[in-house]
Amino acid sequence: MPLPPKLQEIVDDFASMAREEKIETLIAYAESLPPLPARLKEERARMQPVPECMTPVFLYGEKQPDGGIMFYFDIPPESPTVRGLASILASGLNGSKPEEVLSVPPDFFMPMNLQEAISQQRINGFIGVLAHMKQAAVKLLDGSL
Amino acid sequence: MPYVHPEYLVETEWVAAHLSDPNIRIIESDEDPLLYPIGHIPGAAQVDWFTTLQHPLRRDFLTKEQFEEVASNLGITNDTTVVFYGDKSNWFACYALWLFQYYGHKNVRIMNGGRAKWEKESRPLVKDVPSYKKTTYRAKEADRSIRAFRDEVLKQSKSRKPLVDVRSPKEYSGELISMPNYPQEGATRGGHIPGAVSIPWAQAVNEADSTFKTSDELRALYEGKGIKPDEEVIAYCRIGERSSLTWFVLKYLLGYPEVKNYDGSWTEWGNLVDAPIEK
Repeated sequence: MPLPPKLQEIVDDFASMAREEKIETLIAYAESLPPLPARLKEERARMQPVPECMTPVFLYGEKQPDGGIMFYFDIPPESPTVRGLASILASGLNGSKPEEVLSVPPDFFMPMNLQEAISQQRINGFIGVLAHMKQAAVKLLDGSL
Repeated sequence: MPYVHPEYLVETEWVAAHLSDPNIRIIESDEDPLLYPIGHIPGAAQVDWFTTLQHPLRRDFLTKEQFEEVASNLGITNDTTVVFYGDKSNWFACYALWLFQYYGHKNVRIMNGGRAKWEKESRPLVKDVPSYKKTTYRAKEADRSIRAFRDEVLKQSKSRKPLVDVRSPKEYSGELISMPNYPQEGATRGGHIPGAVSIPWAQAVNEADSTFKTSDELRALYEGKGIKPDEEVIAYCRIGERSSLTWFVLKYLLGYPEVKNYDGSWTEWGNLVDAPIEK
């Protein structure tokens, strides 16, 4: 199954960028991650505190009338890398059907060659954020969302 | 009581007053490498614990020659005072400082409170990346007295000598092996090295501003758990970054004579065939 077109476009864009441009673009994604809508603040407060050493990622998946899914995030500004990765995934997958979200392979980001800009360890944040998004997609499919 | 070696710590005011001092190089070392390009202390250079300081092939640090090259490119001479600061209460700042010590750089400092405190005080952050005139830097042979390898750790464990596990309580108990966002840094087994006491790194810093706790508080914390200056101490965590902070605290703030950081840490021990584990 091909990647959802918007996500594929972002992957291709990054693949053609030089290192400096990758860093700038990632920062631009981090800075453009919209703030959590006020109506989700209560959900946010119910989130389990995450143990130290990792970035607390709050994610909420919302069902759209057309069956698509919208993702909302709350990630602290002191973690721009995770914000940037989440912002890329939100831009690439918002509005997609849950099945499309579930079909994204966990290594979809390899062609972006991000390891020349940030270390492999940080890029693996993609795997964590994508896994969270897939959990929301599963909930939407089984009707618990 | 003051810290035993207060000269290894500088405050944000001091750094602000020394931004253009040619004998001082300020270096940012973060967990999140995008923080530096977003904004850093004027004149500060960046090192990344992984892309700058690790060997490109082996799981190890740069060789002595590679380290010399990095230091030369940072415009550091053997006499430059290097001040490290970073995010996450200075974990990776302490890691970088520890590596500079490993290759014999004497004049090193940590900026108390790190990046978070500097930002909180609304001090200037800039995007300009400085370039420094290349120097000829000569590193010393690696100082093995501050770095522990697995065989020494096993010996320390078997002889029930002080081992400090500075990870979170759930990592110590084995409930958590790897962090959800860090799958590559995992281990196949959970638990801790037999005999290690649990003193999470965060207990050494003030939550409000990321500065280090007072000497009396720190002494009570470590001595209260049986970690005393009369024996060699080995600290570890998951990849050696949080334990660099504990190493800095024990070595310089409390002045313990023999402290080693086991940088292999749980990602080595928890994968090591035949290594004893306690839960």
